[in-house]
Amino acid sequence: MSVLRVGFIVCAVVMCGASVLSTAACDRLPGRPAVEAVAAEGTAEWTTQVFNTSCRGCHAQGKEGSAVPLMDSEYWRAATDAQVVRAVLEGQGVLMPAFGPAAGGPFTPSQANALASGMRALWGGGLKPSTAISGTVQAGSADRGKSVFETACASCHGSAGSGGSAGSVTDPMYLRLISDQGLWTAVVAGRAALGSPAWNMPMPNRPSGLASAEVADVVAYLSSLRPRSASELKP
Amino acid sequence: MNQTSPSRLIGAAVDWVEARTGAIAFIAPLLTHHVPRNAKWWYVFGSATLMFFTIQIVTGVCLATLYAPSAAEAWESLRYIDEQVPFGWMLRALHGWSSNAMVVMMAIHMLQVFLHASYKFPRELNWVTGVFLLFTVLALAFTGQVMRWDQDAYWGLGIGASIADRIPVFGNQVRGLLLGGPIIGGETLSRFFALHVFVLPGAAIGLVGLHLALIMKNGISEMPKPGETVEPATYRERYEKRMEKDGVPFYPDAAQRDMVFCGACLVLLVVLAAVYGPFGPGGQPDPTLIDTNPRPDYPFLWIFGAVSLLPPASETAVMLVAPLVGVLVLVAVPFLSNAGERAPSRRPGMVLIASLAVMAIAALTWEGKTSPWSPVMDGWSALPTPGHFIDGRTPLQVQGANVFQFAQCRNCHSLDGLGGERGPALDAIATRMTPDQLMRQIQQGDGNMPAFGRNLDSAQMTALVSFLTTLRPDFEAPAMIPGAQLPLPVRSMPGEVTTPVAAGTR
Repeated sequence: MSVLRVGFIVCAVVMCGASVLSTAACDRLPGRPAVEAVAAEGTAEWTTQVFNTSCRGCHAQGKEGSAVPLMDSEYWRAATDAQVVRAVLEGQGVLMPAFGPAAGGPFTPSQANALASGMRALWGGGLKPSTAISGTVQAGSADRGKSVFETACASCHGSAGSGGSAGSVTDPMYLRLISDQGLWTAVVAGRAALGSPAWNMPMPNRPSGLASAEVADVVAYLSSLRPRSASELKP
Repeated sequence: MNQTSPSRLIGAAVDWVEARTGAIAFIAPLLTHHVPRNAKWWYVFGSATLMFFTIQIVTGVCLATLYAPSAAEAWESLRYIDEQVPFGWMLRALHGWSSNAMVVMMAIHMLQVFLHASYKFPRELNWVTGVFLLFTVLALAFTGQVMRWDQDAYWGLGIGASIADRIPVFGNQVRGLLLGGPIIGGETLSRFFALHVFVLPGAAIGLVGLHLALIMKNGISEMPKPGETVEPATYRERYEKRMEKDGVPFYPDAAQRDMVFCGACLVLLVVLAAVYGPFGPGGQPDPTLIDTNPRPDYPFLWIFGAVSLLPPASETAVMLVAPLVGVLVLVAVPFLSNAGERAPSRRPGMVLIASLAVMAIAALTWEGKTSPWSPVMDGWSALPTPGHFIDGRTPLQVQGANVFQFAQCRNCHSLDGLGGERGPALDAIATRMTPDQLMRQIQQGDGNMPAFGRNLDSAQMTALVSFLTTLRPDFEAPAMIPGAQLPLPVRSMPGEVTTPVAAGTR
């Protein structure tokens, strides 16, 4: 009889334990797998997820990241959404890959649209693109650009390709890797965290920055220095 | 019969059944058979293994009522069990953790038997059935991993199939038998389901019965004492005499310790399941998803580690021969020596073998668990170059950092501890390699590194090397050609004094 009694007691204890567990804690135990929430397209959460896995490797913030920082507001004043969508879908210049369906990339046009407006909402600082200057590259005169460069840019970037404190932007290798649009964005947006002023910010010799026509001229000048083929390069 | 208390009623019912079946008469000797008095806590591991096996059967039957064993629905049905079924995730967690616990407990049990030489006369076949049980349980663990039908399962099967494919002459047929066709498909899962749910558990139950019957027949071995040798001619007689004189009944004396230990194991199991939850399912089993880092479950990590470290030329020979040798050696253990000393202190060679085996398996498991054999596939698009590697660089060098991302260097090389670990970290690469060495390494590759010469044009290569030459801590000199006192024409950092060769030539 004592064997049975012990058995009953053990059973009772186990049952009590199990029922306490089931009623009180089961849903809140740490081992319960989280229901994987897929963020809806266009929400801030979705934008952040997509950005963190597909864009952030180059376009981060502050000093971080090798390309235009998209998590800072500077860029969003210099570019329109349409321009961003085109860059996402078709790529841009030499190094920005296309992420659109034509290139086998992961984003549909509607997702690229949602991504562009989502990024602007997150990091654009509530500002619209500047009306004082175009976001896309404009035609200018290389001759006029040369003199603008010598007065406005050379104090940091060195005259006649000699470099200078901020490093050369006339290096043919550099110019081969950056498109005219890339140059345009670099001049217009600048990169404050690294000490590069935006186009209309004070520069040495230019307390009021550049005029929008001067930006076009400088870009035309730099573009004219770009070697047209690899054979023009002498590494 | 004037009193009809519940206990009397139960007693009457038990008597009624006993009169017709003799169940108690059968079980009672099993419970009261004498076991050595000194068989203390060393002897609880086998019982704990059996307890985990029982839990596997109970939770496994419950899971079989919920799981959809079809390739199209298996993965979804696991998500359904985890997210919708009350206690479903707990059921899966218990089944998974209990499976690992059973393998561990079995290994400890086996180790104890080996160290105490309990396999010697007359218990040779106890050991042999135990070895077969070990492989049955490992087979259950492998087929159980396939039940998850996720990326780990898919690639695990792929590796299993390609090992089968290496068998000379019959390789294709064996693979077809394993997968139910030339490739992993719907029939593969059905096949492994049948193995996991019918064939292997049936085999395991039969072997457990045999193992227990042999234990009853041969008795529990005494604790080994130096000098007390096993002599097959006289062993049984001496053992029986000792048990009569000095033994204690299994129930309750030894069984108490078993119960306490099993109870503690059970509590630990529930805690593990509650805190760490179920295993997987990982990503969808889709061979086109290469952004995956599949690993086998714990019992096989050491094999994964060992196989990855094999020199390629030896793979086929080792993969096909080593398992056979392993099985043969394990089965042969009691036949190589079934008499003489049992005490570990008199068998130092055996202790050494056991220690080496434990250390090797532990080290290989660690290797299999932690080795970064897969690149970080989204490193290039998710991990930005740290700011201190961008600040103060020339525009060309910043473009070089772009090329670094564009060419997906980051997938295998880390900066600031983030990124792949297949290749070395590059935080200070400029202190180790000159620009020429960097250029050669990138263009031609080396060892595991692919050659990028055809993928990067001269501008990209120049920018990339220029960026890499800036990757060195402040105040540490750049790498130089041995014997030469001047650094190579490095693309200087802005504001730095440069060698005449470097300035203005590019």
